[in-house]
Amino acid sequence: MAFEKLRKESLEKLRKDLKASVGDDNLIINAVNSMEELERTGNMMVTRLREWYALYNPEFEKWMTHQEKFADLVIKKDKKTLLNEIHAKYSIGADLSEEDLHAILILAHQAKSNYDSMKYIKEYIESKMRKHCPNLLEIVGVMLGARLLAKAGSLKRLSQYPASTIQVLGAEKALFRHLKTGAKPPRHGMLVQHPLVAQAKQKDHGKRARTLADKISIAVKVDYFKGEFIGKKLKKALEDKFGVNY
Amino acid sequence: MELFNKKFPGVYYKRRGKYKDIYTLNMVKGQKVYGERHYKDGGIQYREWVPERSKLGAAIMKGISQTGIQEDSLILYLGSASGTTVSHLSDICTKGTIFAVDLAPRVMRDFYFMMEKRMNIVPFLASANHPEEYSDVPQVDVLFQDIAQRDQVKIFFKNYDKFLKPGGFGLLSLKARSIDVTKKPGIIFKQVMDELNKRSIVVDYRKLEPYEKDHAFFVVKKQ
Repeated sequence: MAFEKLRKESLEKLRKDLKASVGDDNLIINAVNSMEELERTGNMMVTRLREWYALYNPEFEKWMTHQEKFADLVIKKDKKTLLNEIHAKYSIGADLSEEDLHAILILAHQAKSNYDSMKYIKEYIESKMRKHCPNLLEIVGVMLGARLLAKAGSLKRLSQYPASTIQVLGAEKALFRHLKTGAKPPRHGMLVQHPLVAQAKQKDHGKRARTLADKISIAVKVDYFKGEFIGKKLKKALEDKFGVNY
Repeated sequence: MELFNKKFPGVYYKRRGKYKDIYTLNMVKGQKVYGERHYKDGGIQYREWVPERSKLGAAIMKGISQTGIQEDSLILYLGSASGTTVSHLSDICTKGTIFAVDLAPRVMRDFYFMMEKRMNIVPFLASANHPEEYSDVPQVDVLFQDIAQRDQVKIFFKNYDKFLKPGGFGLLSLKARSIDVTKKPGIIFKQVMDELNKRSIVVDYRKLEPYEKDHAFFVVKKQ
């Protein structure tokens, strides 16, 4: 081939570039995506576990509403203790054999370990973000910060977005509906997950999302250029403006 | 022989009921790039060219009149992504070379494993908006662009001026929705047509319905 030499050089450069292209961004994004999947499967597992376990001990299933605690307690304690704890006098559940119960407990263990890995991954993301983008972490927290990163694709791209884009990230459908048909524009995208927006009155949602997006935009730009830690200051400005603590 | 070669070198047609499928000769035996079907005929393996996955494939299915791609063409391909279309071009241009440019490392990774065995592909991890990053590329016969960007026509002409031989062909796949979501695709196609006509000669133009929504494929020739 005529370009064998060029191909060889170019391939070598490509190998190097590809190797260097993996950064903290990719790790955080994969971790947060995995986290969301774990959450979904965990909920699915516990829903099934509840259905299954209720054959044996429906009173406790009814009483305990927390998913994670439910899986945990089912493993740790037997039927009698659980019934005692909730002051149930008798149970209408069937008496299952050891073998039947064992199968149920396998699912419970699976669900439990699912929740454990979620906890671990969350800590991992937090420690990564503390180094990679401390200001963003300070303002929006672990999960929302990582989700914003995942939506943008990288810290670089997120830092290039204007605040108005950050405000509606995650509300693309509504935004394009607005652009195409002239419907009302979205007030916020995934920023609604932030306590500052979520706990506001309905009419303040837009206002707060706008201010929050503004501060995020500043924080991310500082993070990208590895500037000083100004997260505390930005957070305080937000809290002062709306007179709330989050 | 069920397969027959009609107007494009290296592109084979096969009848299937009232439709025709297109195939290319598989250069690397047994390799499947994107889950396409293989077809064996007279001891030779062909790969199906799925028009839903490849805009050039779609344009050929829509009956475009010419593409300028020959067996010995040098092709500069902007926006190679995972290499779906590039793999077929590499089947066709057995004596030529394809210079593939893409910006994203994620898709380049897939591309890398595809092109390891195909000796006529030269990859560049660079931005098509900065032609100086891959200035080693020689003057080419065909310039292919498939990047859905707002200023994709501008980027096309940057490369057109720098790399395309006089008399060479430029193939431009245009996504109307990435230029402006609020305008009707037909209006955008017309604007782009005028823009292309100012600097070159538009030889042919096809809308890619039903394979791609709101896409058009332009073939231009440099004087």
